[in-house]
Amino acid sequence: MSLSRRDSLRLAGGMAAAGTIVAYPGRRSFAAADEQIDLAVERTRITVDGVTSDAISIGGSVPAPTLRWREGQEVVIRVVNRLNEPTSIHWHGLLLAGVMDGAPGFNGYVAIPPGGTYTYRFRLRQSGTYWYHSHSAGQEQAGMYGAIVIEPARPEALTAARDYVVFLSDHSRESPTAIFRNLRAREGYYNRGQRTFIDFLRDSRRDGLGATIRDRLDWGEMRMDPTDLADVTGYQFLVNGQGTADNWTGLFTPGERVRLRIINGSAMSIFDVALPDLRMLVVGADGMPVLPMPVDEFRIGIGETYDVIVTPPEARAYTIMAEPVDRSGYARATLAPRAGMSGPIPPLRPRTVLTMSDMGMAHGGGGHAGHSMPMGASGSADPHAGHAMPMGAAVSIDPHAGHSMAAMPGMADGRTMGWTSAGTPPGKRALRYADLRSTVSRPSAPAPSREILVRLTGQMNRYIWTIDGRPFGMEDPVRAREGERIRLRFMNETMMAHPMHLHGMFMELENGAGNRLPYKHVILVPPGSEASALLTANEVGEWPFHCHLLFHMEAGMMTRFIVEPTRVGGAG
Amino acid sequence: MTTTTRRPLAWGVAAALALLAPFASVPAAAAPDGHGNQSELLGVPAPRGQGRVIRIEMTDNAYSVPRIQVRAGETIRFVAVNKGTLLHEFSFAPAETHAAHRPEMAMMMEHGMITPERVVNLRMAMPGGHNMDHTAPNTVLVEPGRTGEISWRFDRAGTIEIACNIPGHFESGMRADLVVTPR
Repeated sequence: MSLSRRDSLRLAGGMAAAGTIVAYPGRRSFAAADEQIDLAVERTRITVDGVTSDAISIGGSVPAPTLRWREGQEVVIRVVNRLNEPTSIHWHGLLLAGVMDGAPGFNGYVAIPPGGTYTYRFRLRQSGTYWYHSHSAGQEQAGMYGAIVIEPARPEALTAARDYVVFLSDHSRESPTAIFRNLRAREGYYNRGQRTFIDFLRDSRRDGLGATIRDRLDWGEMRMDPTDLADVTGYQFLVNGQGTADNWTGLFTPGERVRLRIINGSAMSIFDVALPDLRMLVVGADGMPVLPMPVDEFRIGIGETYDVIVTPPEARAYTIMAEPVDRSGYARATLAPRAGMSGPIPPLRPRTVLTMSDMGMAHGGGGHAGHSMPMGASGSADPHAGHAMPMGAAVSIDPHAGHSMAAMPGMADGRTMGWTSAGTPPGKRALRYADLRSTVSRPSAPAPSREILVRLTGQMNRYIWTIDGRPFGMEDPVRAREGERIRLRFMNETMMAHPMHLHGMFMELENGAGNRLPYKHVILVPPGSEASALLTANEVGEWPFHCHLLFHMEAGMMTRFIVEPTRVGGAG
Repeated sequence: MTTTTRRPLAWGVAAALALLAPFASVPAAAAPDGHGNQSELLGVPAPRGQGRVIRIEMTDNAYSVPRIQVRAGETIRFVAVNKGTLLHEFSFAPAETHAAHRPEMAMMMEHGMITPERVVNLRMAMPGGHNMDHTAPNTVLVEPGRTGEISWRFDRAGTIEIACNIPGHFESGMRADLVVTPR
């Protein structure tokens, strides 16, 4: 990664003249070279599809203004808190000094008090698509989020005539506090897809009464529900702050390359994203460039970003669809040659039903035999000690999941079964983590000196979400020495997917890509599955490491990732 | 070739490759007719090293020229130099043949026959006695820093496409026109 501080200092020399303002239709943009930006955080009202509700804005809009910067630039952002509660802004995915990261309680950063101002200052050591959001309580869901686009110091090989941010979010008319109270009070409060007695009869006919009862007993024992794909529903799904009727539209001329910077800045929604009639070329993941990969769709976890290039061939409207995995609605936007056009909206895909293997219960079943995952032998402490849940071995991420085949293993009785099954139409290709290959080849990357097991744990019915069985506040921090190379092994012992976000450093996802492991700041770990990542602990500090499902983090699914300096104390 | 009602995807691809011709042959040394419709390739292979040299540089991910023009009756020795950091393909065929070939290149990548930088194996035996094969005479895979070449005797006029079908490369713009003018 060419992101050292020395490099960015060198780059900064050529940046003085880069203070051009780029205006995009309908949005305010701030571009600045070593200039100061003022952003006020305040309560506001927003109107989505004609319905007005409460929100919190940064810089006067939801989403907040897109910050367009250049690699190497030093930026200064003065944030004024006009709320009557503390607030904060975190720069998601950026490499910076800990105190500038903006997470209260970490790295000596203190939340901005009501009426207070905090001045952030940092030099941009990277390029790509990132975002910024509140790191205080549920404020992010109320509208405190916006995109960051950092142009690279050196021009990219693949250019695009148009460049749009596609910011996905979920908006609720309920306050984040009320939602959290409901979740704590009664599990399944928001699960409108609970299985009924009719489902029970149908399953009995299909699987036999005994199997069905056993299955139900298993789920009961786990205090969970097989339709629990998302734990909050009732959201409106937004693209760039606009509802499905508002229909955010990006313009193009046929044959032009259009770059879409797709950011999942939602609180609780994992989306399947597709442009039904256009192939996408994935060129970036979590801000970092990847070898171009043509796909038809991808699943995007909360906090992840994907940069794709599409080339609409005809002068007509193309729909951008983003369906949350629980299929409780959809976000849509349009690419069109003129404003006011809209394309066909495909029918919502079926909602998948979780299976026992999503709980890691399929012990060496035929369906999971022969999976290759680049996992080191753990050899450490018993990973199953102290489980809060009755679990078997976790299943590794299927490197071939999401592949649409004639006889899709994820289909049974016309229903999609299993978390990884996105209902990809026949003949279409969904992006898999295994497809992501960094543009930077690192054949001499050192091997990790040790492995750290990160157990993702929880109890759905009490809405307790934890890491290694410990809620934040009673956490057992992850510790590494500066420069140390480690492997993080995630073991998801719950039946929900968790987008695990590390502040301050990139993880290198072990996805089988050899010397091109992709850099990620969020790794989406499917239910009952494992994933692993390598990391060089080269950023000293005390970094938040958490599930990016907002209410999981609120419930305690967060820990500290402490990188201790090799030289402590001294005058220099 | 036997056909069974349910077979693993890879067999189907092997069969498709064999039928798709210009890119696949089982075995590779079959007569030119075994490679499919030679007329769509506007000519026939010529002995290695023969013909007027046309040099093409390949970078990540582009050819150095948008268009190459030759005359029917000419023998051309295409010299494709890979100046990039990734594996690249130099091949020519009608655009639709390339389009059909691209999913198979993706299969080759998934099966480890090629990596982003290297050729591991151009032929892979698949279950059922089929082969996945990338040894046809109108295509060459060139590793970074190396040079590949194809000699071809053009005998018909027409326009076909030069393309790199490694996943993502064509889509990034790695293509050129190959125009054969009448003699």
